[in-house]
Amino acid sequence: MTQPASATDPAPGRRPELVPDPDAEAARMAAVRRYDILDTPPDGAFDRVAAMAARLFDVPVATVTIVDTDRIWFKAAHGLEGVAEIGRDPGLCGSAILRDHTMVIPDTLKDPVAADNPLVAGEMGVRFYAAAPITTPDGHKLGTVNVLDTRPRSITEEDTATLTDLAAIVLDEMELRLSALRALRDEQARREVERRHAEAERARAEAERAAREKAEQDKAAIAAFASTLQRTLLPPALPVVPGLELACHYRTASAHDVGGDFYDVFPLDSDRWAFFLGDVCGKGPEAATVTALARHTLRATAHVDADPVAVLSALNTMLLTDVTAGRRFCTVLFGLLEPRDGGGFTVTLATGGHPPAYHVRPDDSGAVWVRAVRPPGGMLVGAFPQAPFARTTFSLTAGECLFLYTDGLTEARTLEGTLLGEDGLTGFLHQRTAPVTATSLVEDSITLLASLPDGARDDVALLALSVPQPHTTPDGSVATTAHTAAAPEHFAQEG
Amino acid sequence: MTDTLELTVQHPRPGLAIATVTGDVDMHTADTLRRDASILIERGCPHLVLDLSQVGFFDSAGLSALIGLWHAAQAQGGALVLAEVPDRLMRMLTLTGLDTILAVHATTAEALTAMAASPSTSTGHPGSITRVSSADGTGEPTGVQRPV
Repeated sequence: MTQPASATDPAPGRRPELVPDPDAEAARMAAVRRYDILDTPPDGAFDRVAAMAARLFDVPVATVTIVDTDRIWFKAAHGLEGVAEIGRDPGLCGSAILRDHTMVIPDTLKDPVAADNPLVAGEMGVRFYAAAPITTPDGHKLGTVNVLDTRPRSITEEDTATLTDLAAIVLDEMELRLSALRALRDEQARREVERRHAEAERARAEAERAAREKAEQDKAAIAAFASTLQRTLLPPALPVVPGLELACHYRTASAHDVGGDFYDVFPLDSDRWAFFLGDVCGKGPEAATVTALARHTLRATAHVDADPVAVLSALNTMLLTDVTAGRRFCTVLFGLLEPRDGGGFTVTLATGGHPPAYHVRPDDSGAVWVRAVRPPGGMLVGAFPQAPFARTTFSLTAGECLFLYTDGLTEARTLEGTLLGEDGLTGFLHQRTAPVTATSLVEDSITLLASLPDGARDDVALLALSVPQPHTTPDGSVATTAHTAAAPEHFAQEG
Repeated sequence: MTDTLELTVQHPRPGLAIATVTGDVDMHTADTLRRDASILIERGCPHLVLDLSQVGFFDSAGLSALIGLWHAAQAQGGALVLAEVPDRLMRMLTLTGLDTILAVHATTAEALTAMAASPSTSTGHPGSITRVSSADGTGEPTGVQRPV
């Protein structure tokens, strides 16, 4: 508890002045900043310590100081009105924080360093100074608790201990303040993180909602576009053909994909009619282009030369030369209908690599006779310049039906997981009951597709033609039925 | 159904390649078949035998690839030949009339015999085997090793 300059043993002559070590000073300043107390507003706890010190020591002035790099800042100053800080001149506080223990200068005028301090030499005329360093647990001295008087005096060791205790109280107070500060900062940081998180969450939810909305809009727009395009690619309605019942069904596996299936029935002249049903390989816009090209080419060339083989050859040439067709090809059935004397039609059917059509007729016993119409040697259309096409001619008479379809029907999977196939389709046709009409056959096929586990995975187009029995339509009136659907929307049309 | 398609290629003699196709050939993988096999044709093997014994599903997109490869082989003065064609694909080839244009053989050995008379248009290392595979229809072939 004794110091270099003590009341009982005043140092004769110049006391060796301590010079702060730069590294130690830097570490000390870091500690000062850590407590974040410089330039804070007055605080009752520190004011009370200063007041208590003044009372205990019976001195006019007592202060709590924090030593900054170039100034001594008063956290509390009892008896020193209007002074917030003073320069870091050596002699008093500036020197006290360089020592480990309480520094006592009984008479400043007898202390060579303190004598030059402005507080001593100046107006205030400080003659007595005692200061206990405010020391952190890691040994840094932040400032002092000090007492000053304008007359020389001495203090006891007990007094010195009291001053040290007061400095310890100040440090405790600063520690409490620091931990409160830290808690507050942590809380603020936590709230800030929460706020940012909530904000990010809100932004994310908003972006998600906007994206979802946009996607819904896009989806709806695309679906609407595809449906519209699909409708323009299909015949608006099947025509009324005297003495013939027609039915069709069209369904795309996805409302977003424009399918490649197509069909049409149209007049060639006063009594001849033509029909076709085909399937362009692939989907989407490119397939739709080929679909449109195929439909228009088939219709246009049929008016020039109605021979179905000639029509398919013309389409083959067109698809191979038209650049927009790219490397697409299609399979097509093209038929010519010529009325027979006494009812019914002579059908000339050519195939371009398409699955066989089925000629269906219930016999007198009620069983259904089924024949695959398969002109041999017809190649798919649009792949090879030398492609051959084949035709066959037969009669479609009263009570008979001709059934055309795309492979979406035969490639639909059954409950057993196998493809329906030609065998399955033949079996299905055999199970029909008389009368087998175009309408009933298409409706039964739709029911069949609906009964399969995942329906048709591919697009499906069905076209059926039947010659009504004379007694069912005594007045010679005809029926035409069309089912057209782009799943999941149905836009059935009656023609 | 798988989304991967793999070509295992053998070069029994110069200008000729046997590519064994493994996987399903559908709209997801047909472009891979077309691209990888086209590379073989264009880089010295205009005579190409496709061994289809390891093919599962095969749809119209696959047919489209075969047609494209047939044209590519013709353009290089070679030929596309099919071997070990699965029944379902055979029915499709018959239905579409492609069996009259694409030569179909029961085995690769038969296909090779049939092609023996064909003149070779380039040199190569007999017997070298490379494996070409792609994760899907969009991947690049992983190292097509071609005869030098």
